[in-house]
Amino acid sequence: MQNNHHKERLYKILVIGDLGVGKTSIIKRYVHHNFSPNYRATIGVDFALKVLNWDQETVRLQLWDIAGQERFGNMTRVYYREAMGAFIVFDVTRPASFEAVTKWKEDLDSKLTLANGKNVATVLLANKCDQGRDVLTNNGIKMEQFCLENGFVGWYETSAKENINIDEAANCLVKHIIANENDMLQSEVLDTISPQLEKDKGGTCSSCFRSQ
Amino acid sequence: MSAGPPPNLRSAPDTLSYLESASLMSGTLESLSGLGEDGSSVGSDSEINGLTVRRIDKYGFLGGSQYSDATEKDIRVEVARQREMKWLEMFNNWDKWIKHRFQKVKLRCRKGIPSSLRGKAWQLLSNSQELLQANPGKFEELEREPGEAKWLDIIEKDLHRQFPFHEMFAARGGHGQQDLYRILKAYTIYRPDEGYCQAQAPVAAVLLMHMPAEQAFWCLVQICEKFLPGYYSAGLEAIQLDGEIFFSLLRRTCPMAYRHLKKFKIDPILYMTEWFMCIFSRTLPWSCVLRVWDMFFCEGVKIVFRVGLVLLKQMLGSVDKLRELQGMYETMERLRSISPDMIREDVLVQEIVTLQVTEALIERESSVQVRKWRESRGELTHQPGRRLHGTRAIFENKRRASSPMLALSSRTYLLSCCVYVCVPFVESVAFVFSGSLR
Repeated sequence: MQNNHHKERLYKILVIGDLGVGKTSIIKRYVHHNFSPNYRATIGVDFALKVLNWDQETVRLQLWDIAGQERFGNMTRVYYREAMGAFIVFDVTRPASFEAVTKWKEDLDSKLTLANGKNVATVLLANKCDQGRDVLTNNGIKMEQFCLENGFVGWYETSAKENINIDEAANCLVKHIIANENDMLQSEVLDTISPQLEKDKGGTCSSCFRSQ
Repeated sequence: MSAGPPPNLRSAPDTLSYLESASLMSGTLESLSGLGEDGSSVGSDSEINGLTVRRIDKYGFLGGSQYSDATEKDIRVEVARQREMKWLEMFNNWDKWIKHRFQKVKLRCRKGIPSSLRGKAWQLLSNSQELLQANPGKFEELEREPGEAKWLDIIEKDLHRQFPFHEMFAARGGHGQQDLYRILKAYTIYRPDEGYCQAQAPVAAVLLMHMPAEQAFWCLVQICEKFLPGYYSAGLEAIQLDGEIFFSLLRRTCPMAYRHLKKFKIDPILYMTEWFMCIFSRTLPWSCVLRVWDMFFCEGVKIVFRVGLVLLKQMLGSVDKLRELQGMYETMERLRSISPDMIREDVLVQEIVTLQVTEALIERESSVQVRKWRESRGELTHQPGRRLHGTRAIFENKRRASSPMLALSSRTYLLSCCVYVCVPFVESVAFVFSGSLR
């Protein structure tokens, strides 16, 4: 009864990007609301769960924190499975980590697609913005253009340390994931012969329908 | 902030703060905030500059999940002393002990190596001491090389992220982090084809807690090349292969856990990568880590498999335990953060030594999985050296390698009585030779 009004959604979200760009710290900030310089390098994969209230629904986000070193890329196929969205993170003070963004995006898109064949919603995070924005300004990169060309649904300058824009980025991603999901549900409905479509014509069961 | 104390009564501090400039310059730990997760100060610890400093545990941890309470029972002084004497006796005649009384050495490793002698014992068990003596000056030579920027860059980013709650590695630029840099860098020059893998850093750090940098370097070399060949290589095929072997062994040893993981499509590499690659150094309470490493150096990778199987059995091995893990995420969460309260050192060790998973079984399963890999994914791109199962295998291998005649002998001595006569002679020469290296 309550289910109709209080749906629960569960999404798996990947957090990927080069080593040391702040993936673990972003998750820590988002989920545990703190920042600590004393953390361990991620080896393999780590997880965290974030629960959100979203339009009177409960949204559970499973955040998958994936090791950044290139050689762990050989395991990404397993890590990516059934994800609905992704953050790709780079460090604004390190140009090389930005150059790797397209590589991560390609890896993601080649190994993971939604049921309708589309790529998963991906938001780009320019992290450590409290330490300057060298990559962005020095290279004169037009981020909007970059996002458009590379299939990101948005980008944010973030700081896990100073808690800048992390909630906003997550909300943006969730919004797109839900939109994607609704799209898929709709197309499913259109493709399926559903007895529900006859509802307006009156009958509540097949026998009533016949007698009409 | 919760009002009461955290459910986990080990209220070790979760954050440390440094007077950064000073600690960066000198590498000393200037200050620690010893606040519990609930914000209350931890009782009975001293105060410096108005900050509570938590007492360092006997393993050197200042806090974090691997902090040990003082509640652990120490063995009696007389017993400890007696064990030390026995180990010193073995050190004096090491090769003889390995050759003739290996079962006794194995038993003593299973009982736990006395902490005062652990570093030395690990070097002997892994045969890294001999490697060091055979390569005098090599480590310094490697240190003088500039190294490749792509590796140094990654290594530098990892230095402050290894056991941040251990006194040796807590300070930015401190001696622990400096030594870590030295040996990880040296390895990339020693094996440029391998480079650096992030999972090597915690392994190297554990070694550095027990021995100087040069010794730790050669010990790391032995782990990477003899005990776990291919684990840290580009492609990470060896660890993925061991994941498959592990899963298949689980099917035999704990079908319930196996079915549960299969049901929720939890691939072994999701949970065993860190366990195996770091030899459980980031997973278990510290006293258990040391006991596992004692056995690992002696008996090889078999111990790693067994520890993993015992853990899965403990966490997923009963209907009761599975009842609260109705989902992939719940299960993963349980496997990712194993509560220290669930693990008792003596029980863990007992289960590890009694589990029927032998070298032969692992090797057999290994060939099955290699075949499957070839069928489904094609040829392995990286061919690591043969894995040696611990001290005994390394010793045998060394003996064969040190004498070409001996290596041949297995094939020829039935045919040639000359060689047949020679073998005992060669063997004794090899023994004297290896003895003189020590």
